[in-house]
Amino acid sequence: MSNVISVGMADFKTAKAPDILLTAGLGSCIGICVHDPYLKVGGMAHIMLPTANGSLGGNPAKYADTAIDLLLKEIHAMGANRSRLRAKMAGGAQMFSFPGKPPVLKIGERNAEAVEHQLKKNGIPLLIADVGGSFGRTIHFDVGTGQLHIRTINQGEKVI
Amino acid sequence: MEITQIQLDALREIGNIGSGHAATALSTLLQRRIEMSVPEVWAIPFEQVSSLVGQLDTPQAVIYVKVEGAAPGKAVFFFPVESAEIIVQALFGTNDPMDLYADEMTQSALREIGNILVSSFLIALTQFSGIPLQPSVPALAVDMIGASLDAIFLEEGVLEDTVLFIDTQLSGIPMIEGQFMYLPDDGSLKKLLGAMGV
Repeated sequence: MSNVISVGMADFKTAKAPDILLTAGLGSCIGICVHDPYLKVGGMAHIMLPTANGSLGGNPAKYADTAIDLLLKEIHAMGANRSRLRAKMAGGAQMFSFPGKPPVLKIGERNAEAVEHQLKKNGIPLLIADVGGSFGRTIHFDVGTGQLHIRTINQGEKVI
Repeated sequence: MEITQIQLDALREIGNIGSGHAATALSTLLQRRIEMSVPEVWAIPFEQVSSLVGQLDTPQAVIYVKVEGAAPGKAVFFFPVESAEIIVQALFGTNDPMDLYADEMTQSALREIGNILVSSFLIALTQFSGIPLQPSVPALAVDMIGASLDAIFLEEGVLEDTVLFIDTQLSGIPMIEGQFMYLPDDGSLKKLLGAMGV
């Protein structure tokens, strides 16, 4: 029997096969999924913003840079080998548009860039990403197989 | 900023009068009885907002209006899709099913409802504070509620440890449920409270 472990906003969790990690209702936020296919362990982080910008205090799991560091640390502690780790991500949408007013910040896009950057810095290949668009996503990550299931309200479902 | 009890009461009163105006406007528009809860003022981490809206991937129609002027903020109305459909049907005087996701007329009606509700709220807020405030053109998303709210709360790319907002539940007969949140921008809270002398 596999358990489904829920990851909240600004939260991260690790799991062992056959467990599944889930995060619901990603908008501009991003779900980052990392696993070791040999050991069949992995983790998921639900980040909200690109960088902590050196701000101390608050919840480090909010930000792409600090959350990825925390996630990797915990996955290593489970015995995973850094050179085997693989990553996938989903989210980073632009949910609203105001006519005649292009969004100034495009947080979703910047979140995706920050995740890519931080993974690269840690030498972890990003196998595939499903980011952007203007719709929400709920994702399930199978830490054993590395399959990432993405559900939307009106844009279908897929597995990447 | 730290909020005193008197300031909290003042914000709740803003919520009460403002949301009351909005509920009356909705009631007039739909010719139905609309009731509202006593507004709550929350100052909580954004991560906890999810506990106020139920399941994060429930589809809801979210109408988002930016409030511009000397004390800017954000106004958000959201309705479960079933309620949103009932609202549009009542507005159009029909029982035909409505395609909230793709039909332009339906979406335009929802935006217009948001516009009317927020304008009613702002008239009350302006009368109360003496600060003139104007609504932006409304934006609409019919999608997972968590996805819409994270985009609104995180739009500026910064997130304080706690976010402050006024939260009111609306309910109508039969079977209309909705929620209204008003988030003053960081500097606006001081201005609004100052204008009211608290």
